[in-house]
Amino acid sequence: MRTSVGTRFMLGVGGVTALTIGVAAFVILRAQEQRVVSQLQRSADLLSDTIESSTRITMLQNRREDLHHQIETIGRAAGIERVRIFNKEGQVMFSSDREEIGLVVDKHAEACDACHAEGRPLERLPRGARSRIFRDRDGRRVLGIVNPIDNEPSCWQASCHAHSADTSVLGVLDVTVTLAEADRMLASSRRMVAGLAVLAIAATSGLLWWLHRWLILRPVQALLEGTRRLGEGNLAVTIPVTGSHELGDLARAFNEMTRRLAEAQRLLTQADKLAAVGRLAAGVAHEINNPLTGVLTYASFLAKRVRDDPELARDLEVIVRETKRCREIVRGLLDFARQTPPVREPMDLNEVVRRAVAVVMNQLTLHRIALQLDLASDLAAVRADANQMQQVVVNLLLNAADAASEGGGNVRVVTRCSELAPRGHVPIRVARCPSGCDLLDPAVRIGGLASIRVLRHGDGREAPVNLDPVYGRHTHVVAVTCEAGTVARWSCPRCRSPLEVAGRRCPECGAPVFGVAVEGEERVLWCARVGCGWSWWEAEERAGPRPVLELIVEDDGPGIPAEHLPHLFEPFFTTKGRRGTGLGLAVTWAIVERHGGTIEVASEPGRGARFTVRLPLEARGAPAAAVPEPDAVGG
Amino acid sequence: MSEPRAAPCCDVLVVDDEPVIGACVRRVLEAEGLEVFVVPDATQALEVLARGRCRLVLCDLMLPDRSGLELIRELHAVRPEVPLVVITGYATAANEAQARQAGASDFLPKPFDDAELLAVVRRALSSLRDEGRPVQGRRR
Repeated sequence: MRTSVGTRFMLGVGGVTALTIGVAAFVILRAQEQRVVSQLQRSADLLSDTIESSTRITMLQNRREDLHHQIETIGRAAGIERVRIFNKEGQVMFSSDREEIGLVVDKHAEACDACHAEGRPLERLPRGARSRIFRDRDGRRVLGIVNPIDNEPSCWQASCHAHSADTSVLGVLDVTVTLAEADRMLASSRRMVAGLAVLAIAATSGLLWWLHRWLILRPVQALLEGTRRLGEGNLAVTIPVTGSHELGDLARAFNEMTRRLAEAQRLLTQADKLAAVGRLAAGVAHEINNPLTGVLTYASFLAKRVRDDPELARDLEVIVRETKRCREIVRGLLDFARQTPPVREPMDLNEVVRRAVAVVMNQLTLHRIALQLDLASDLAAVRADANQMQQVVVNLLLNAADAASEGGGNVRVVTRCSELAPRGHVPIRVARCPSGCDLLDPAVRIGGLASIRVLRHGDGREAPVNLDPVYGRHTHVVAVTCEAGTVARWSCPRCRSPLEVAGRRCPECGAPVFGVAVEGEERVLWCARVGCGWSWWEAEERAGPRPVLELIVEDDGPGIPAEHLPHLFEPFFTTKGRRGTGLGLAVTWAIVERHGGTIEVASEPGRGARFTVRLPLEARGAPAAAVPEPDAVGG
Repeated sequence: MSEPRAAPCCDVLVVDDEPVIGACVRRVLEAEGLEVFVVPDATQALEVLARGRCRLVLCDLMLPDRSGLELIRELHAVRPEVPLVVITGYATAANEAQARQAGASDFLPKPFDDAELLAVVRRALSSLRDEGRPVQGRRR
């Protein structure tokens, strides 16, 4: 049978506790009983001494009837069972129970044995040995104590001459007292101690059970559940962090691990997953190139030889054209497969633009595109991979050329240095709730970036809200609208912990603010009032505007429909129909992302599109340094 | 495919294990009056160059018996005066740079059409003419 660690722990600790408390109770009860018995022995001894001295005169005067009377009177006192006086031969001389008088007791009887065990009787014994506990005829416990009556000069000098001078002990006074009262008290205290012990065991076990549930079982089960869900492939799983102990550390480590896995998966889904597909495709593409060569050379060769048969020539031209399309698709796949980490060296963006323009000039001319270059002369060098940046420019130019309408169009390329305000430009790439849940939601993207998912409690309803992941921009995605001006409560959609920041108020409307944790112990704050639009990122505001290089490629084509904008940078998304592979902008996005830059697109249907690439400049004013060797683009 | 032991004398030697490449190159170049000889691997290519003569080699980068780069190095070492053109289905800037370093004079990515092929071949042969060698293809 499977026993949980908690149950084993409980059984072990509970068993030890019960044993300890049980032993303690037993020892206490034993000690108490011994104390009570010795107390009773002492008082019985005292009583015995008192009886002896009070009957002394009567005995000396040999007033036997008075002695009988005295003994009977004492024997009737409460708590006293019986008082007897034996002579040396063991005959009962006086007794509170008259029927006993004259009986002879065996010297080996219990009361006598202590002194008479040896051949010659002892004359003096300690109190403990003189007393005995036994049950009387009614089965009640009683304590008996014997006291020897010593022969004194007054005894044998008395006028009755009952005793001779040569004996040392004349007889024995035997007093028996009842233990009923003491037994009642002992039983009651036994009951009390046992009750307390049971209570202590129950309380300890209960406390242990609760502690083990709260401190161990709950976090361990959360971990187990999290691991199980992770095993099922749910990378969004987070575990509430329960404290700063080892299990809390474990939960934190688990959350960090899943966050990294999710991040890795996010990157994979972005471009690298398709790079893997591309790599597979590249293997196929390579094989396809041989048969394509056969088709292309034969078809183009034949097309020139059948000029006198225009119909056939036209058909052959179709074969040539379509085969060349295949060639472009294969090249796109190969380019996509070849994505590598950027080799970042200082490079001159203008030079990269000029080389890219040289590569695509033919195609631009073919599409009757008028190209205008507005390249800033004072451009700072940027650390980037020149080949990859060239691919970015080529892709954007080809995209603009493809977007141009039949009759041609205008494309303008701008490079410039710029200062980028943090608001509206700096992406939030890490977002967590106070318990550490990852709030980034790759399923809902705003401007190509994973949004920040939070729960809004307002208008008596709760609804998920996907916050714009660009600091200071407010194109949030809201499932259920909430009346503007409502001060809502905001919480984590996973662990539901509140996101409100205590002690902060919106400087614009005075409402509370809520925030999410971002990189470096920082927080990004938003006003809790719906529609207020205040937000704050201390670190970015402190750092002020950051220098960037901007590359703008704009066309005056038909523009991009709004519903296409969120998908524009997704791999295999294409609006070009049969002309595109849907990889160009995805590759562009991936390259810019790998350079820590941003790419955004602004477009209105009928009014062209403008792509803006921004690359961070590490330091301002660095001169444009060595530009790497020019390299052929593509295959 | 021709028998290499014939110690051929040709204008263009094509080294490619894909028959369709040899066939289509032969078709295009022979129409221009050039004599084409096709071998499927590096061993036979070296044999041809050792026994006979040719003015230009078109060579794939992936051959069954060794890498195209190795072949180019060996050919270049044996016959430095013969221009070597790489034809490959896996054209990258790195591949091209390596091929040129190994001694290739030009680089033609597959798939190509007849015009692209002819342009490369003419360029290679004209570089020979510049060095004072005969270049004119014999028309059949």
